[in-house]
Amino acid sequence: MMIAPVGGAKHRLLPSYSLIALLAAFALPVQAKAAGTRAGSTISNTASASFDTGGGTTTIDSNRVDLLVDELLDVTVDSSNPADVPTTPGATGQLLTFSVTNNGNGVEAFGLTTIANAGGDNYDPAVTQIHLDNGDGLFDAGTDTLYTPGANDPSLNPDQSITVFVLATTPGTVVDGNRGVVSLLAAAKTGTGDPGDSFAGQGEGGGDAVVGSTGADGQDAGAFIVSAATVTLVKSAVVTNSLGTTDPVPGATITYTIVATVAGSGSVSGLAITDNIPADTSYVPSSITLGGSGLSDAADADAGDYNGTRINVALGTVAGGQTRTVTFRTTID
Amino acid sequence: MRTVLFLLLAMLTPGHALAANQVALDNAVFVERVSTDAQGKQKILLEEPKVVVPGDRLVFVLNYRNAGAQPADKFVITNPMPSAVRFADAGDTRPFVSVDGGKQWGLLADLSVPMEGGSRRAAQPADVTHVRWAFQKPIPVGGTGNLMFRGVVK
Repeated sequence: MMIAPVGGAKHRLLPSYSLIALLAAFALPVQAKAAGTRAGSTISNTASASFDTGGGTTTIDSNRVDLLVDELLDVTVDSSNPADVPTTPGATGQLLTFSVTNNGNGVEAFGLTTIANAGGDNYDPAVTQIHLDNGDGLFDAGTDTLYTPGANDPSLNPDQSITVFVLATTPGTVVDGNRGVVSLLAAAKTGTGDPGDSFAGQGEGGGDAVVGSTGADGQDAGAFIVSAATVTLVKSAVVTNSLGTTDPVPGATITYTIVATVAGSGSVSGLAITDNIPADTSYVPSSITLGGSGLSDAADADAGDYNGTRINVALGTVAGGQTRTVTFRTTID
Repeated sequence: MRTVLFLLLAMLTPGHALAANQVALDNAVFVERVSTDAQGKQKILLEEPKVVVPGDRLVFVLNYRNAGAQPADKFVITNPMPSAVRFADAGDTRPFVSVDGGKQWGLLADLSVPMEGGSRRAAQPADVTHVRWAFQKPIPVGGTGNLMFRGVVK
């Protein structure tokens, strides 16, 4: 079994100072990345020696040393939104998603809080609710659990994560491009503090609970970005008559042009242009155009219609930076 | 500072006396902690393992003593690694180690472990399953000494 004797192991007393010096030469302790050995488990060590004092090989065991592994309290919070989440002024139920992970080595419950007024942004989202995911990673108010601090603090096994949804309302006063940050904080219920602080006897398995490198609390920020759009309508009229002039005489034709310009990083939905036919004028049938193409007067598949008193063109959703041009004609009675 | 135990104290710890053969092997474990003083100087202390958490560095100290009337020849000390401890180093004691549960032994630098696909890679401290010291000369009557190795709580 033995290949060769080892040169370095001699029976001599190792002077204490040399060992201390040796210890100093080695690197700092490295924190284990995964949760590691479960709190409450026992590390047992026993060595054995074999030798021959003339009567054949004898084997003896050393005493056994048992160490109880204490609970390390560590938690991290990570935003699951890779980019700012678009929102609109006054919108409710705006969603930010976070992941809370127990990096400790024992079962631990974590209290959750949010901070929305830390500054560094343009507005404070109003956090309305926190929900705990049912495991599918998708927010559903019907199946995910509404979080109530102190009542259903999520309890996580070592290395276990839970998805947490933060719902917020965007104030109506924000404008396009405004940014609002919300941080989710998770703190070990056993306690938080500086790394190394300990809570005697409060660890899983009967040992102590010791604050780990995270301070037993963690936080991360998610952000909303307001994506709003504004609509500007500009209406103009051109008169033509049989005289070849622009005088608004009876029988002259007035061509109205309405230009809708959408500005901003967002878009407007359900945009429609409606214009009443002015008194003492008559609508010229089938004269509605959108972007130069004619539309029928009937309320049908195309976007335009005339109902006897007004024209209407439904533009639907128009993104910021785009324009829509509607024209129609009337004749002066 | 609470119960700082320097190795000297560990060495004075009474041996694990076994009357039958009068050779004793005593095993003690300490936690290695680094403290930084006001001047920013780091001090490494060995403490009694009152609190042990993953990531802690443990120092295992083995004291042996031949209290018998005969020299102890072919003296070999073997310490299987506790499963929750990852071997780190053995100071300058140059032990043989095993990375396969005690089947084969050698200096860590000479060992390798199989990988998927049939190739092998050099053994790392984390692969060590057993630590062993074999002595070239008999332990004389009254001879004492100690060995150490470090591990990190997984």
